Amino acid sequence: MRSLPLPVRYAVLAVAVALLLALPQLLDNAYYVHIANLTLINVILVTGLNVISRTGQLSLCHAAFAGIGGYTSALLALRFGVPPMLSMFIGAAASGLVAFAIGAVILRLRGVFFVLVTFLFGQIFTLLVLNAETLTHGANGLVAIPPIRLGGLSFASKTNFYYFALCAAVLVVYFTWRLLRSPSGRAFACVDENLPLAESSGVDTRRFQILAFVIGSAFAGFGGAIIAHYVRYISPDSFTFWESVAYIVMLVVGGRGSLAGGVVGALFLTPLPEVLRGAQALSHVLYGFILIAVLFVAPLGITELARRLRALSRKAA
Amino acid sequence: MKLMYRIVASSAACVAGLAFASAQAQEIKLGVHATLSGAGAVWGQAMLGAAELAADEVNAKGGLEVAGKKYRVVVTSYDDKYKANDAVTAMNRLINDDKIKFVVGPLGSAAAVAVLPMATDDKVITMTMAFTPKALGKEFPYSFRPVISSAEFSDPQIAWVVKKLNVKRVGGLFPNDESGQQVGAANAKAYEKVGANFEAREYFERERVDFVPLLTRLFAKNIDTIELNGNAPTTAALIVKQAREMGFKGPIIRTGGDATGEIVKVAGKAAAEGVYVHQTINPADAKVADYIKRFQAKYKSEMNAFSPMFHANVQMLFGAMQQAKTTTDLDKIRDAMASMKDYETVIGKVSWSGEQAYGIKRQLDAPFYVGVIRDGVSQIVAKCTLKSCD
Amino acid sequence: MSFEVLLVQAVVNGLVLGMLYMLMAIGFTMAFGIMRVVNFAHGEFYMIGAFVAFFLVTLWDVPYVLAIAGAGLATAVLGAAVERTVFKPFYGDELNGMIVALGLSVILQNLALIAWGPAPRSFASPFGGVLNVGPLVFPNERLFALGAAVLLVLGFWLLMARTQVGRAMRALAQDKEVALMQGIRANRVYPLAFAMAVGLAAVAGALMAPVFSVSPFAGHTPMLKAFVVVILGGLGSIPGAVVGGLMLGLIESLAGTLLSAMMADILQLALVIGLLLFRPWGLLGQREREG
Repeated sequence: MRSLPLPVRYAVLAVAVALLLALPQLLDNAYYVHIANLTLINVILVTGLNVISRTGQLSLCHAAFAGIGGYTSALLALRFGVPPMLSMFIGAAASGLVAFAIGAVILRLRGVFFVLVTFLFGQIFTLLVLNAETLTHGANGLVAIPPIRLGGLSFASKTNFYYFALCAAVLVVYFTWRLLRSPSGRAFACVDENLPLAESSGVDTRRFQILAFVIGSAFAGFGGAIIAHYVRYISPDSFTFWESVAYIVMLVVGGRGSLAGGVVGALFLTPLPEVLRGAQALSHVLYGFILIAVLFVAPLGITELARRLRALSRKAA
Repeated sequence: MKLMYRIVASSAACVAGLAFASAQAQEIKLGVHATLSGAGAVWGQAMLGAAELAADEVNAKGGLEVAGKKYRVVVTSYDDKYKANDAVTAMNRLINDDKIKFVVGPLGSAAAVAVLPMATDDKVITMTMAFTPKALGKEFPYSFRPVISSAEFSDPQIAWVVKKLNVKRVGGLFPNDESGQQVGAANAKAYEKVGANFEAREYFERERVDFVPLLTRLFAKNIDTIELNGNAPTTAALIVKQAREMGFKGPIIRTGGDATGEIVKVAGKAAAEGVYVHQTINPADAKVADYIKRFQAKYKSEMNAFSPMFHANVQMLFGAMQQAKTTTDLDKIRDAMASMKDYETVIGKVSWSGEQAYGIKRQLDAPFYVGVIRDGVSQIVAKCTLKSCD
Repeated sequence: MSFEVLLVQAVVNGLVLGMLYMLMAIGFTMAFGIMRVVNFAHGEFYMIGAFVAFFLVTLWDVPYVLAIAGAGLATAVLGAAVERTVFKPFYGDELNGMIVALGLSVILQNLALIAWGPAPRSFASPFGGVLNVGPLVFPNERLFALGAAVLLVLGFWLLMARTQVGRAMRALAQDKEVALMQGIRANRVYPLAFAMAVGLAAVAGALMAPVFSVSPFAGHTPMLKAFVVVILGGLGSIPGAVVGGLMLGLIESLAGTLLSAMMADILQLALVIGLLLFRPWGLLGQREREG
């Protein structure tokens, strides 16, 4: 983009925005709009994971945090009549709070241990939700969750929800963009690059790791709440280890080094299992192969690959 | 000018072709929404087979004749992997993408609870296998159940078995989900009604394979009989196997859906000998035997006994379309089907009942049987109606 | 049934489960201790071992005991190949190595699904029947699994303690640099170690196949248990895996028998959380060295 002259850049941007806004009309099929909605939700979730990975950590319980947000928001709306527009944010805050509590304890563990513990936390979450039946209805899940409303407008239909999700995704990405450019964001990069060096430079590495973990998990909670009020049904099966793996695949394939990575990953990989619905196992094998291939060829994902190709073409030119 | 002619001619040909094609290719879309992978796959296969065989039957005659037009029946299937989330997505796709109005499914109780509100809103007729009482009701007027659920067969079957075996203390293991809870509750009530004690109940997570600690707990409560109720076929089989390995010699009863094949395969003929099972169909009956042959010829695998029930329901659906003289007016088709009495199907004459239990007639009323596994095969020992067994 | 009988049955069943968890955990912790690989696909090798044993017994009438050995060997060979191609490029990059393992797990599980379908398969162990000791009843096939596992662990210990190969592995685990300087050929030892690790998992799968039946999803729970054991015992510590495995098996069996299945699950995870809060390097592990 930087190589193009200014007016062309604006034109491309305008066209992109117009396409995004008109998408539901262009797709005449409600099911495709549904896929677009799922993609937007995944953008939010994977961007959250992106924030966490900025400090060199990997969360294997990202889906569990989505679940905390989802269940909190759904239960508040179902039991206490809290409007979803409000309960969503409470759900996100709940996830952030739990992330803070856990993070403060387990972020003393380095690398591998941290990841293993996040895996275990994910299992604990599933077990807790399954067993707290009076609260969560256990394996049966929560049905008839109220949709999001703003004033008189309801975001229950797929088209209406699309615009809501679009706004939410844009806000999350924008917030992350500002975060990564801020002093905190730069501290994240320090911690990621070289932890001992950052520490000896006086950077409070733990504080920034916790911050990244909390913000990323809060995004997950937000995403989970949105899922709850869109699909209007959640169960422990909505937030398992395999969902966390899917988010990791999207992030790694899209690209960990850049903000666009989360968006690209979600865009490429969300429609895949839906398109191959008849051959589900095959699409999962594909997922696995793409993941490993990316790690071999371009560990920082498609966005890195794109950057390298552009650099190559510039050299050739 | 030549180009002009070409354009006009080809457009006319296209239009004519389309008109001709649409006149010929009138279709009725039938959806199958079931578990085609994982623990409940045999059931899903049974439902898919029922739909496809019914479609084959009418398509062989050139299509289903409704109000003077012939319609080809096309079957589309979706796998919900026995997970309610996937059930919701699959139903979404069936309704919005494929625009299907007639569904064989949903399969599981949790799936049914999750998708029935959506199906009702969009006016889609569903034929469910879900045993939960929440699957039928005035609030779901398009939801039909062609299988006899434990709420219907528990009482007569258990009354008969308890009398025959002189059962005093029963123990059971249940999965901790909608199916387990509903079926378990229905069975417990039925046992208590005829004087047997069913306090020994243990719940477990769906994926569990080691039942020794749970069985130990049951045995500590001095049970004389084990009830397998609605556990998935492989789970039921493992319970039978492990119970016999622990030296349990008392009777084992399954007051739940067909799992005989799995039980014999996994637990072995010796362990499965003498297990009392609920039998959905009578394979000796001529029409049923013919259906089983067709199923096995087409799919090269064992047929789960639920299949003919769904086949009967689809036959009734087609009949209802013919009676109501429409393939698109859902309310007329629904009402025509619900009012059918003693309708001749592959399993004999059937009707709909259920007003007392559910407030609406959407539960299939058909005979069922009690069987005993002897040498690896279930043999019928009693014939039952919704009221009693003899 | 008296309480004592209940207790003894629960303890014996706990030991059987404990041996299974131990086999899984030893392999998992070995891969980490020697090569710093967190093998998320460890459970899939258990599953592959179970399937190989199943096919050997049902398709080619191989005697069960031979089939177990066959399963272990075949999986070990596969493991060595996987180690050289998939894991080797990521040595030193733990995070990406973990992600690769995740991808491998997804691939293996789904390939099995495509090849063999989701329906569980089973076959009968030749050790049918039960052993009656007074009021106690023990299924023979579980006793066999217990005995076989004990022999295997003993053999494994002998190998690690008394042979050159074993010493080489321990040296690499203790201090890679020094070990390499001593002339230990990592390129020979690593694939062997990984092969052994997954071979143990495969044997565990083959031993439990007749007991629990086999499906492409069979590896998930054993892997979860291996994680728990390894956190309990200490990541990288083989004695920790042994002790942790037995502990977990006993806790699970006793809690499941005396309390309930749900409580057994919760208790295990609560134990892990507690340990992580106060002693995250496990009971027998080493404190993580900084820098």
